[in-house]
Amino acid sequence: MKSAMRSLKRMKAVFVARNLEYLRDRASFGWNLVFPVLIVFALAVVFSGPTKALFTVTTIGQEALPELVKFPGVESLEADRTKALERLSRQQTDLVLEVRDQSVNYWVNGNSAAGAILEILLQYTEDRPLERGETDGQAIRYVDWVVPGILGMNMMYSALWGVGYVVVRYRQSGYLRRLKATPLTKFEFLSAQVLSRLLVTLTASSIVFIGTNLILDYKMVGSIALLVLIALMGGLAMITLGLAIACRTESKEFADGLLNAVTFPMLLLSGVWFSLDGSPQWVQTMAQVLPLTHVLEAARAVMLDNAGFADIALHLSVLVGFCVVGMGVSIKLFKW
Amino acid sequence: MTETILAVRGLRKSYDDVVAVDGLDFEIESGQCFGLLGPNGAGKSTTLALLEGMELPTSGSVTYRGGALPADYQDRVGIQFQATALQDYLTPFDNLKLFSSFYDDPISMDRLIEQFRLGEFLHRDARRLSGGQRQRLLLALALVHNPEIVFLDEPTTGLDPRSRRDLWDVVTDLKADGRTLILTTHYMEEAEVLCDQLVILSHGQTLLQGTPKQLIKDAGVVDLDTLFLSLTGEPLVKTQEVIE
Repeated sequence: MKSAMRSLKRMKAVFVARNLEYLRDRASFGWNLVFPVLIVFALAVVFSGPTKALFTVTTIGQEALPELVKFPGVESLEADRTKALERLSRQQTDLVLEVRDQSVNYWVNGNSAAGAILEILLQYTEDRPLERGETDGQAIRYVDWVVPGILGMNMMYSALWGVGYVVVRYRQSGYLRRLKATPLTKFEFLSAQVLSRLLVTLTASSIVFIGTNLILDYKMVGSIALLVLIALMGGLAMITLGLAIACRTESKEFADGLLNAVTFPMLLLSGVWFSLDGSPQWVQTMAQVLPLTHVLEAARAVMLDNAGFADIALHLSVLVGFCVVGMGVSIKLFKW
Repeated sequence: MTETILAVRGLRKSYDDVVAVDGLDFEIESGQCFGLLGPNGAGKSTTLALLEGMELPTSGSVTYRGGALPADYQDRVGIQFQATALQDYLTPFDNLKLFSSFYDDPISMDRLIEQFRLGEFLHRDARRLSGGQRQRLLLALALVHNPEIVFLDEPTTGLDPRSRRDLWDVVTDLKADGRTLILTTHYMEEAEVLCDQLVILSHGQTLLQGTPKQLIKDAGVVDLDTLFLSLTGEPLVKTQEVIE
């Protein structure tokens, strides 16, 4: 018990020192708050206009599709049924089509005027029997969709660089060697770094989330508590990934390269800026091995579709896995 | 009656094909100021790291009071590294508080602030301290837990004459407290003034060992610098040369 208390005391001291260092570095602190806000506003302005295609159709399968999908002004992409209906309820697509045996099943969103027009066109142009399905749900603006992406991206940079780069800087400057000459253990040092950066990441994300919502009033229909849980697990997963990268790296330049190698695929493939629904299957599979993908899919499910705990449990489990592996590797391989 | 606090037997350390320390044997008495002398690359810092427990020897041993280094050895030693950074944006006060909290029974911060005259720059960003102020802070950090052995790796390198003299005074006070001090230095005057016992190293091996006076007397030379030059053909640095 006494030993645990001593350990907590040392962790708290390192935690406080790291927080002080971050808070007094006003340039970094300010940038962590200002940068995501600027991006959200820029995207809200740039993508506020209508999309280029007149109509979008999502197809389940590619076989014997109705002529409608080839009409000028109609853009089509393929998805599985769950994804397709999810897109329809968010009005990211106007019509969902599935050819089964000799009939054509279709779904429209009852709140969508574009969907109603496409339905009429389909009825006039298709000879096979039609079966109708309907969903509802309000359209989401691009800003509604991209806000979780930007918050997630900010979290990713803050977590990976704020821990990975800083630990390598400490090592290169000899500070870790100085700490090694004290009773501070690897676990205490690493835990303090994780907790400090988690506090910073969650605080910055909350400020940006509340601040941008006050002005842009983006869609948030789900549970705030679940969103906090996702941010907590996502933050931890990426912080421990940063630690694992930094656990033995001695050069800041090499750390920079490694961190870029990890963040760049997430930036492209995790759905920060655009949906991967229309991309090849192998790309979508690859995206599933990236922690940011699970953070964003879970966050969008909660914010846009009012998903519950059970709906996002798989994403949370994957993030827990990342945390366990990241922390395990860091403690095992860490070099002062 | 003095007691051997650290003993080194057949100590060797190599990195790949480079032998940094090559078969050292010596003993350090409790309460002594023990100096490791030698030019750059002589193996001083590696020997110090092995004595500190920061590195493990390739072969040979370092014993503490006749036995293996104890699990709480880091609680018994204080180390002032030759080149160490502190966390950015932290003040000497923050650093003292941080390092004090690593130990169960640290010296009071007020005492350290007074002893090392940290008061005038206690709340200044540690990156903006002068060389002498910084060394005093690093020494205070090495002593927060009241260690019985203090390691000083070239503590006065890069300091101006006034700061160098100030640090000598601090080291003299630490000796008067009865602590065992182990220091490395390039400077002859420093070694002659501060050290009770010296080991002169070259290429990882012991060239000579003894008290400064004894070494000079036995060699029939006027000072340690002349002695070292006659042994190795390499001059050590005289304090006055560095000052100039």
